Amino acid sequence: MGAAIGATVAPDHILKELADLWVSLGKQGEAEGGAGVLRACSMTLVVLAEESEDFSGLGETMAALMPEHPARTILIRLRGGEERTLSERVYSQCWMPFGQRRQICCEQIEITASDAALADLASVVLPLAVPDLPVIVWCRSARLVDMPEFHAIAAMARKVVLDSAQMPDGHSALRRVADLARRGVLLGDFSWTRLTRWREMLAQVFENRRNLALLDHISKVRVSFGGAYEVLAWYLGAWVLNALADAGVHAELSVTGTTGGRYLRVKLEGEGLKVELARSDDRLAIAVNDLSNVTNLPQPTDYLLMREELGIVRNDPVFDRTLASAARLAYPTD
Amino acid sequence: MPTENPFQDPLRFERRVPECVVVIFGANGDLTKRKLLPALYRLAYDRRLSAGFAVVGISRTPLSDEAFREKMLEAVKQFSEDTKFDEDVWNAFAGGLHYVAGDIGDPALYQELATKLAEIEGSRHTGGNVLFYLSTQPSQYAPIALGLGKAGIGKGNGWRRLVVEKPFGHNLESARELSDRLHEVFNESDVYRIDHYLGKETVQNILAFRFGNGIFEPLWNRRYVNHVQITAAESIGVEGRGAYYQEAGALADMIQNHLLQVMATIAMEPSASFRATSVRDERSKLLRSIRAMKPDEIRENTVPGQYGPARIGGQEVPGFRQEQGVNPESQTDTYAAVTFFVENWRWAGVPFYVRTGKRLPKRVTEIAIQFNKAPLAIFGDTDGDGTAPNLLIVRIQPEEGISLKFVSKTPGSGMKLRPVSMDFNYGSSFGERSPSAYETLLLDAIIGDATLYTRQDMVEASWTVVEPIQNVWKETKYEFPNYAAGTWGPAAADEMLARRGHVWRKP
Repeated sequence: MGAAIGATVAPDHILKELADLWVSLGKQGEAEGGAGVLRACSMTLVVLAEESEDFSGLGETMAALMPEHPARTILIRLRGGEERTLSERVYSQCWMPFGQRRQICCEQIEITASDAALADLASVVLPLAVPDLPVIVWCRSARLVDMPEFHAIAAMARKVVLDSAQMPDGHSALRRVADLARRGVLLGDFSWTRLTRWREMLAQVFENRRNLALLDHISKVRVSFGGAYEVLAWYLGAWVLNALADAGVHAELSVTGTTGGRYLRVKLEGEGLKVELARSDDRLAIAVNDLSNVTNLPQPTDYLLMREELGIVRNDPVFDRTLASAARLAYPTD
Repeated sequence: MPTENPFQDPLRFERRVPECVVVIFGANGDLTKRKLLPALYRLAYDRRLSAGFAVVGISRTPLSDEAFREKMLEAVKQFSEDTKFDEDVWNAFAGGLHYVAGDIGDPALYQELATKLAEIEGSRHTGGNVLFYLSTQPSQYAPIALGLGKAGIGKGNGWRRLVVEKPFGHNLESARELSDRLHEVFNESDVYRIDHYLGKETVQNILAFRFGNGIFEPLWNRRYVNHVQITAAESIGVEGRGAYYQEAGALADMIQNHLLQVMATIAMEPSASFRATSVRDERSKLLRSIRAMKPDEIRENTVPGQYGPARIGGQEVPGFRQEQGVNPESQTDTYAAVTFFVENWRWAGVPFYVRTGKRLPKRVTEIAIQFNKAPLAIFGDTDGDGTAPNLLIVRIQPEEGISLKFVSKTPGSGMKLRPVSMDFNYGSSFGERSPSAYETLLLDAIIGDATLYTRQDMVEASWTVVEPIQNVWKETKYEFPNYAAGTWGPAAADEMLARRGHVWRKP
């Protein structure tokens, strides 16, 4: 179901199309001998993506997210260009839970917008948001984050999720994220989400009472990175320093990087204790003094990262504090 | 020196898991192979266990560590139903698997175990934390606890906890005696009586449903609830366990523990917090409020049953008395239905119908809360579907979820009403895999969270209401079999409800 409406899109028309969609899905489900369809919705998810993206891959990610975070998804394809174009289509994403006769369906609205039409986008999206449920914006376009129209879209959202590792200039990416946070936007950054398992493994090291007892011996924290992991490196360094400071331990941080390769390594050193975490392929190697262990840690997909972020539709105090500290450490003269 | 781990982030991290050793007595048994090791492997796969985590298996059969690992590898491959087998994860996990052979009655076994635990503590830095899991015959619980005590490993420089499987005694006196023996070595707070029903996601979800939502609790009382039905039906028979089952019976095997715990979760007062002590205090209080019936009340409010042979789906199915190892004149109950009453202000006069049985038409466990009908039938339909009472159904298995049945207008002209259902399916609403009950409960015991474990006072309260029923049933000779395999139990159970104008649901 869908219609290209040239340069305008009427939210009322889209809502009518959605209502018709449910009627036809219900009839179709019953005609096929099933027990109709069940509508599931726990939020409005606005996904902003460049038209050059792989939309079939993105579609698979959305489909995987829906069973756990059913949403009215508003997928906005950013076409670029100065000619004002805006069009839409409405469809559903359904799945049949194993062993059941009834499909569960979520609504999807796809809107294509040129840059010239971006200013109208917020006025189209706002009436389409499901009442009483949170609006989450997932901005996959690094370009859009810097455009003034983005702020109107971000203002509608309970939370904005982005990926600073995809921003073209790694060194300034952290500043742009910190600026958004300063404007009061509740943020999720995939660069931070990618660190969850790392942080968890590091925390696990200090669940051991022997290691915890040596925590105040730590005097140096060294983080090294390659390629697009600069923001991750600053986040990791800032988070470790903050945690140590909370325990009354003041250590020196160094963050060093190279332009090539994608790697991340963190070392905590002090008298009697040396902890090192480093990734190699799909494994995370953890070394604590002379004991080492390897654990399974595949590269998280966009699905896994978004799934974690959608699970936290509230303030994340650890991230907020880390982001502020990381920006201070990375840009001491700002 | 820091005492708290400053790196924890509860919003994003899973619960903190301390380093520890799990010692399994009965390591060659079915429970270890089918449930415990697959659950521990799954926890390792999900990175939920610490790097130094170790297991010591104990059984009589002589085996090397290597042979034990091989055996457990087979078990994990065979019984990890929904977990991918990962060679690297297994290798890291298997490095912590050890085995000690010996006789439970032999003090040398415990000395050898003490040596092994000291070795592991040195090499894997487990901090002296040990969880003893008794997956043995109940008659061995007390000797093992005492053996551990005499060898000095019931206490140590870390925590020591003891997990025991049901049955916790076979009556009130034996339950008390068992506890007394366990308490000679372990404090009550370190004894974890496992009831795998309480580890099921939906049973935990009852607490979230009741105390996380504001709209249901005001209705949760005698003013609005007409009656409650709790059903735990199994379609299979005793499956080769006839000899064991003959000693237990449905009442002791299911109602005394699992179903009374479920009933307590449904009917308990809100706890002040979700701390283990608060939740267990309320559950215990509820169990102590259940009326212990006198013999004449028992005859009125309970029905034992035993299945007879039948033909199901074209196949001959034996009756209980024809099962292997069963006395042909057995008086064992393979079905039990009981009407309980809770004597408190919230529930006075509300019947709680609890039934369980083998060889019923399907495998299903659910709780149905039937609310009172609307006080006036203003739509004219006085006894049709339009006056069907609201029902809240909490499904525990096979499909975990919650359904609310209410009345709606049939589309079209006129005011015809029909019941409709609003469903929440736990599996499909959260696409995530639910952890098995054993994963949940093992992790809870390692972490030291006893919320979902049964406390001694709960066991005693359950026996206080069940034992009088058991006694009356033992003194009476019943005309068994009284229901055919594949049916919903004896007619007397239907009559028990009919006397109060109620009907069993057919789930």
